[in-house]
Amino acid sequence: MDERTFARLAEEYAGRLYAVAYRMLGHRADAEDAVQRALTKCFAARDSYSPRWAVSTWLYRALSNVCIDELRRRRPMAPLTDSQQTAPPRGSDRVELTRALEAVPREARLLLALHYVDGLSYRELAAVRGISVNTVKSQLARGKAIMKRALDGE
Amino acid sequence: MDTLDTRLKDFFTPAAPARLARRVLRRMDEPGPDLSGLIARFAIEASDRGVRRLAYGRGRDVATRAGRRHVERAREELHEYLGGRRTFFTVPVDLEVPPFQAKVLAAADRVPFGAVASYAELAQRIGHPRAARAVGNALGANPVPIFLPCHRIVRGDGTWGHYAFGGALKTRLLALERATPALVGSATTRIVCRHGCPHEQRIAEANRIVFASVADAAGVGYRPCRRCRPVA
Repeated sequence: MDERTFARLAEEYAGRLYAVAYRMLGHRADAEDAVQRALTKCFAARDSYSPRWAVSTWLYRALSNVCIDELRRRRPMAPLTDSQQTAPPRGSDRVELTRALEAVPREARLLLALHYVDGLSYRELAAVRGISVNTVKSQLARGKAIMKRALDGE
Repeated sequence: MDTLDTRLKDFFTPAAPARLARRVLRRMDEPGPDLSGLIARFAIEASDRGVRRLAYGRGRDVATRAGRRHVERAREELHEYLGGRRTFFTVPVDLEVPPFQAKVLAAADRVPFGAVASYAELAQRIGHPRAARAVGNALGANPVPIFLPCHRIVRGDGTWGHYAFGGALKTRLLALERATPALVGSATTRIVCRHGCPHEQRIAEANRIVFASVADAAGVGYRPCRRCRPVA
């Protein structure tokens, strides 16, 4: 893959990669940094990219790896998210969803983000995280059930 | 599609900052955090029991006959660590320090790779909550920096504080750890290893899956490696 093709891909996917990273990490700066690190990694390994892979799987795999490792370093009490810091009106849908999403375990949260940002299929999600399709289904169902409970409890 | 689906679709709608891709592409050529070139600047001292000292000294290693194997292993592991290919050390250290300092260094060693803790937190963890300054002194006299990661201890306000090899290297070590994953699974074997385990080093780039914890990995069908035994 040449540099120009890679630059086009980066332009095309940056928004979606950022959306996943932002919903995972909760900070704009961290999300941008994660996109930077993921794309840098892919750029460095662009010669080993195999066309057998969907480009989206390749990019989302790199981004997932960066986001998950960033979450590992976070302390149990995560800092406030940007949306909480800028204090939007209480009870707004986004704030409720952000809080509900924070209750979802990391792996399920990542799958939810990938599923809803880009509409990745179960099979694609399985390829991104190296897990079985059945695990994808159960993780998504679990994540949504936790979110539903958190939203109903408010 | 239920109501939650609709809300989530809207919630996750991509909205990136302006010119994000252009900014990212511009920074693509910046040098990575690989520090493996620094290996030649260090001198390692080892006894029969393990590594006793790490200092600047342009490769002038000192070791007993039986200690040479520890020096060789330490140098190899340090080289891998500085190159972002290892997150832990298996070479033994031979500490001859007062009990308080040993306690402080053991607590520093428990701060996970890539994470940081403050001097006050470390003081609390060893049961001397008012001894943050003494903790700083004990870390400052660490005879085996990097092997016992005193660079992961920073001031409470987030600034770095003193470091034996200088503040610039502390910054670079923390940046290196930030860019290096700690737990890597193989999508083909569904086994999760610590980064640096010989099994992990054989995982092809296309099959590498990073996890935040062994429990997370187990939750999606991965088992821990029996060789490196990840527990975090």
